[in-house]
Amino acid sequence: MSNEVYIIGTGQTKFGEFFDLNIGDLASEAVSKAIKNAGIGKNEIRTLFIGSTVSNSLSQSSIGGICTRSCSLSSNAYRIESGNASGAAAFHHAFLSIKSGLYDVVVVLGIDKLSDYVQNGTIEKILASSIDYQWEYEMGATLTGLYSFLTQAHMEKYGTTLEQLAYIPTKNHQNGVLNPKAQYRYAIPIEKFLNAKRIADPIGRFDIATPCDGAAAIILASERYIENKKTHSYKVKILSSSVGSDTLALQHREKLTELKATKIAANDAYHKAKLTASDINLAEVHDSHPIGEILAIEDLGLVPKGEGGKASVEGLTALNGKITVNPSGGLKARGDPFGATGIAQLIEIVEQIRGNAGKRQVNDVQYGLTQNVMGTGVMSYVSILGRGEN
Amino acid sequence: MEPPKIWRERKERYLGIGIMCEDCKKKNFPKTRICPDCGSENVKPYKIAERGTLKYFTQIMNTGDELVFNTPYVVGLVELEDGIKVTAQIVDCDFKDLKKGIKLEQTFRVIARNGKEGLIKYGFKFRPI
Repeated sequence: MSNEVYIIGTGQTKFGEFFDLNIGDLASEAVSKAIKNAGIGKNEIRTLFIGSTVSNSLSQSSIGGICTRSCSLSSNAYRIESGNASGAAAFHHAFLSIKSGLYDVVVVLGIDKLSDYVQNGTIEKILASSIDYQWEYEMGATLTGLYSFLTQAHMEKYGTTLEQLAYIPTKNHQNGVLNPKAQYRYAIPIEKFLNAKRIADPIGRFDIATPCDGAAAIILASERYIENKKTHSYKVKILSSSVGSDTLALQHREKLTELKATKIAANDAYHKAKLTASDINLAEVHDSHPIGEILAIEDLGLVPKGEGGKASVEGLTALNGKITVNPSGGLKARGDPFGATGIAQLIEIVEQIRGNAGKRQVNDVQYGLTQNVMGTGVMSYVSILGRGEN
Repeated sequence: MEPPKIWRERKERYLGIGIMCEDCKKKNFPKTRICPDCGSENVKPYKIAERGTLKYFTQIMNTGDELVFNTPYVVGLVELEDGIKVTAQIVDCDFKDLKKGIKLEQTFRVIARNGKEGLIKYGFKFRPI
């Protein structure tokens, strides 16, 4: 028997501001839903992999014990931090733990609670922990400031325009309307993005994904477990889970017109899944800033380099366009509870593959891809999921 | 804003000391003990160029609490005359008058303040020549 890894259950809280819920409350909702969805017993879970960027406002870095207690689990637990890509990093390690033959059933939980940080400047400082804190942030840059440089580099080299960039959040808000778990379920006209005050020129104040609260959980199981138990209600196959890296600081990169980490991760993910970019018609990508989605679709090879802006305006990436990108609403409309984002992306693909995505269902889904980015691209995680019978 | 950290970084922040690799001859900032390009341990201190060109810049409206006192301010990616690139604030100019490609020179300034009574952190910024 081969050592394939499958997703057999998912659970997610709504994303948004939940002042009355703590990190344990959010964890228990997502994990309980996922366990019920998978039809497994709690005692079968060997490990809880937690992807979390800042844990919670109590400065409790070790949130493993809080999550196992509030979920009534007796398994061990790890917290994995990889900035805004902590969810995807935890998923990657959970995948490896089963792929290696060590475990048969594990839970991956992506979680963050950011609505506690109401004081001006705190969220900017948290976001700065995933860029070069000493030589970018302390010198005056912010994550959005650096994304401004990436935006300018793309505009300069490929002629990408502000109108093209504004299509990204406009499209993602249209998709978010159809997602019951999204924080912002309303469309925003493109003029709103274009006319907004610039917070790090050319990036406007409405262009950026908003940090919020949320948790999302996935149950992974080995082929051996699934064949023996036969209790699962569905299985979605993980065709590949890959990661690429680059320098932490933009000033140490040769090019600012691409995310090298995404290219490395994508090449590895396509190779392991025995697919090419032309097989993909569904992707959930890291649109924390509009240029993020343009760089993603280009560096994943879904559109030719430099044509990401044009492709977006032409509707290629719209819901049921040639390649549907961010049918969930993306980070922008779904809301961005950092660690939970990477897991929510994977859950969206699972729902789409199962045909459970309701009004935002994409036609003819065979495969789905996710891309989750740390900082300005120091790490990029790419995963490809496919139908269970493959 | 921890005092030992400010003291430890004094040569980099106050004097712009990075490294040059004796083997591959590449220059790097900030300093490392091993050359990031070739892995050689044969590195020596190197003072980075004090003049450069503005590659990209933006105006920061929202930032972390130690830097908020300064907002709005301009931050840029500067390519120095020796090829090293650094991120730094651009001062003594108006955001709307700035243009890519202009020549800049290093200037010693207050970088961050830790409240009204805490430490003041100094370091380099750039201004148009």
